[in-house]
Amino acid sequence: MTLGARLGSWMRAMRDRSRMEGEMEQELRFHIESCARDLAKQGVPREEAIRRARIEFGGLEMHKEECRASLGLRIWDEFFGDLRYALRMMKQSPGFTLVAVLSLALGIGANTAIFTLAKAVLLETMAVPHPERLRLLTYAVKPEFNISGWGSWYRNDAGEMVGTPFSYRTFREMQQHQQAMEDLVGFKDVYKLTATIGGEAEALDGELVSGNFYSSLGARLIAGRAIAPADDMQAAPAVAVISDAYWARRFGRSTDALGKTIGVNRVPVTIVGVNAPEFHGAKANGTPELFLPISLQPQVIPDRQGSLLSRDNFWWVLMLGRLKPGVTDQVAQEALNASFRNAIRPAYPGKRDNDLPRLVVGAGRRGLDQMKGQYAKPIYVLMGAAGLVLLIACANLANLLLARASVRQREMSVRMAMGAGRLRVMRQVLTESLLLALLGGSAGLVLGIAGQNIIPDLFEASWRTSSIRGEFDWMVFTYTLGITLATGLLFGAAPAWRSTKADLNAGLKETGRMTSGSGRALLGKSLVVFQVALSVMLLAGAGLFLRTLVNLKSTALGFNPERILLFQLDPPRTRYAGKQRTALFQQIEERISTLGGVEAATASAEPLVADSMDNGCFRPADRAPRAGRQDMAYANSVGSRFFETLGMPILYGRGFTAHDNQTGPKVAVINQRLAKDFFPKTNALGKTITTCSGGTPASFEVVGVSADAKYDSIRNDVPPTIFMPYLQDDDAGSMTFEIKTAASTASVAAELRAAVRSVDKDLPLLEVRMQPQLIDATLSQERVFATLTGGFGMLALILAGIGIYGIMAYTVSRRTNEIGIRMALGAQARGVLAMVLKETSVLALIGVAAGIGAALGVTRLVASMLYDVKPDDPLTFVSAAGLLVIIALASALTPARRAAGVDPMQALRHE
Amino acid sequence: MAKQVDLIQGTLDLLILKAVSLGPLHGYGILLRIQQISQDRLEIQQGSLYPALYRLDHQGWIASEWGESENNRKAKYYRLTAAGRKQLQAETAKWNKMTEIIGGILETVPEEL
Repeated sequence: MTLGARLGSWMRAMRDRSRMEGEMEQELRFHIESCARDLAKQGVPREEAIRRARIEFGGLEMHKEECRASLGLRIWDEFFGDLRYALRMMKQSPGFTLVAVLSLALGIGANTAIFTLAKAVLLETMAVPHPERLRLLTYAVKPEFNISGWGSWYRNDAGEMVGTPFSYRTFREMQQHQQAMEDLVGFKDVYKLTATIGGEAEALDGELVSGNFYSSLGARLIAGRAIAPADDMQAAPAVAVISDAYWARRFGRSTDALGKTIGVNRVPVTIVGVNAPEFHGAKANGTPELFLPISLQPQVIPDRQGSLLSRDNFWWVLMLGRLKPGVTDQVAQEALNASFRNAIRPAYPGKRDNDLPRLVVGAGRRGLDQMKGQYAKPIYVLMGAAGLVLLIACANLANLLLARASVRQREMSVRMAMGAGRLRVMRQVLTESLLLALLGGSAGLVLGIAGQNIIPDLFEASWRTSSIRGEFDWMVFTYTLGITLATGLLFGAAPAWRSTKADLNAGLKETGRMTSGSGRALLGKSLVVFQVALSVMLLAGAGLFLRTLVNLKSTALGFNPERILLFQLDPPRTRYAGKQRTALFQQIEERISTLGGVEAATASAEPLVADSMDNGCFRPADRAPRAGRQDMAYANSVGSRFFETLGMPILYGRGFTAHDNQTGPKVAVINQRLAKDFFPKTNALGKTITTCSGGTPASFEVVGVSADAKYDSIRNDVPPTIFMPYLQDDDAGSMTFEIKTAASTASVAAELRAAVRSVDKDLPLLEVRMQPQLIDATLSQERVFATLTGGFGMLALILAGIGIYGIMAYTVSRRTNEIGIRMALGAQARGVLAMVLKETSVLALIGVAAGIGAALGVTRLVASMLYDVKPDDPLTFVSAAGLLVIIALASALTPARRAAGVDPMQALRHE
Repeated sequence: MAKQVDLIQGTLDLLILKAVSLGPLHGYGILLRIQQISQDRLEIQQGSLYPALYRLDHQGWIASEWGESENNRKAKYYRLTAAGRKQLQAETAKWNKMTEIIGGILETVPEEL
């Protein structure tokens, strides 16, 4: 009602405070003078009249203060007063302020950076309206049910296979026969499309989308038009929508891009629209740059076995839809399951309904979300570690502030003796803490924003741009502000409460140094114990992650990655199909072998230690299939100089030669592990191995046995592996070339590009990198953990040192008198020194014991992230404990010396 | 203690509103007018008049303006605003009702129960 008036009057008063003060002074003086004049008129002498008018008016300053309170100014006056005082206090002890602000900045900055990452990976929804109603369709099926397709499946806790891809026909059938969703859209992410503009080829990621994708999801475009249902027809002209990033990079955001034709895997496609910058397709944290109608699949990414659109038992399309308002997941799931079963039944005749896949409505607010599974746990662990750091910083500050509060005991006693209320004193102490917190928080925010991409960059491979975009927004700001205020209250609460517990009499009578209160020392000591315990937890965690990284790095690879340069070729099938591919690869392999600076060159279908592999069913030809057990082996098609280029020794027999080609007999080299598996007691050489994956079985004669080497990842044991010459393959997918360089790799890379261009100028070199770089990239998560937790651990150690120094210095100064008496009674300086150090050790040991107990409980949770080290690794725990005890004693040394140096005469006279 | 202060404060606010409803006045004038109307039967702590004036001004019930006093001095004059007039009516009605009820209660004699 009167809120507007109140706000207006308050604003006026605040804006022109000095004028308001002047007017108030003038108004009150006018009153007193008028009153005095009236008294004078009644015959009172002037001097006496003024005196009486003043008395009748009452306390001038008091009434002014009440007037200010009436205007709502008082609370601000007090606040600004507190603020000024707090600033003065901070200036008085710059060392303390620096430690406080710096430790908070680091703690809050780390939390901000990790929250930014967590938001991008776990919270950010798809940039379309009503993401909360989006659902991704998935299904669960018994593992016996054979699905062939393209996509990812995993085994859930119930032992069922869970998958997201459906056949194209299933998608179309369900799209037409369902009522639970507003609509269903289909999409598929495709990688490394070769885009050619003006003779220059570039590898891009893309997304195939159904014709209703844009209209149904409501994704925004900033130029041109979206892909429409009419574009998703077999005979429709080929069109594409491009991403904002691609638009900016390739066309400088010029509208000329619209209507331009680009070659996508050599198929001419016309650009019709540009996505809004915030829209990144239907895969969470993906970076597709070309959006194409799904009907273009047969032309753009042709499959050996024909169009995927008409293969009813090939599962590859993902389905996303928005629930109709008011429809629950349960209802939708039942309705969609019925529609799903009807759609797939014709393709699987003779299967009972119980054996058919069961549709499950999955989360879809982020679209297809593979990041979450991969990064959720690491991020929770990092958030936990960062939270611990902040908690340690809080404990540390609370402790330092408590020690300071005891010095200020007298000041507080004076304040309260003069009438300050408990709340008022508490408010003042809290203002000081909050000011510190806000300063630390602001610095932390700056650090967090500056470092928001450091962690994602650490996670990502160095030759690829980061697909995780940490973005600062109001949510990050709110989070940081929230933890800042919580921090301020947390470390300010104990000192604030303490400061009002002052015994006025004692506080005023005694010198600040002498105030009684073993309670305060106890509180401080508990805080130090708490701090030490948390630090031990962090250090133990850091130690485990560090050992994991070291173990992984020192694991024997079985091959020599030094000076191996890699690049990948994925020629479009529209130009190279079947044997043309192997011929092309052979031609390029030969061409680059002759380059200067190249010691040896080879190629393989799968690069080593790149988290990718190929496996299949293989069996010794003379052995029957074993019941209930599949004969699996990892397979790799390689060039003839593979083993010598990578330095993998051939133990028996021979490696491949140029004669192992289409005309020669099919041969294979197996590794020791497979030889032991398949031919346990006999010589493997000359034996035959056949495939058993279905189709016509192929047989290979074992011509050599190689030493064991890691295949897909350092973490995994060497798998039983079979190598075949790619020259004997009927077809090939993409191929990675491995080149052993003589010296400088930069010049070689340029020569390679030229060599490949001379064979086909439209072939882009993909993923050019060094083998050691690639291996490093597969360790990125371990490195992030070792680096971050190690950094946090160091910070925790420093803070623990400061905390222990603080509490011991305080204890010693409080006990100067007692120490003086001891020395007067004959205690030796060394004894006093030992006494202080002993007290410190007790504190440290209690903290260490508590910390180790807690750490043992917590590290078990990260057991799956460790390598070759147990979560209760004694060496790590003992080192962490030892480190803390050493830091504790070192920090206590100065206060201990001071205690030992007390002059008994002076200490006693001080009384 | 607190309740008594509240009551006095409330009453003082009402009296100020009434005083300025009869025409713009400066603070000292308001004091004189209240004393005059009440025939000096009310004892008002002079200084506490101003916090009340500032509060009413803050709430928008009275407005202030600098003007010339009777003896050519600058003085701050208060007048009733439209919102203040409504407030005065509401408060007066409330006061009358209250005194009527309290009066009724206090005049009750045993026979009437």
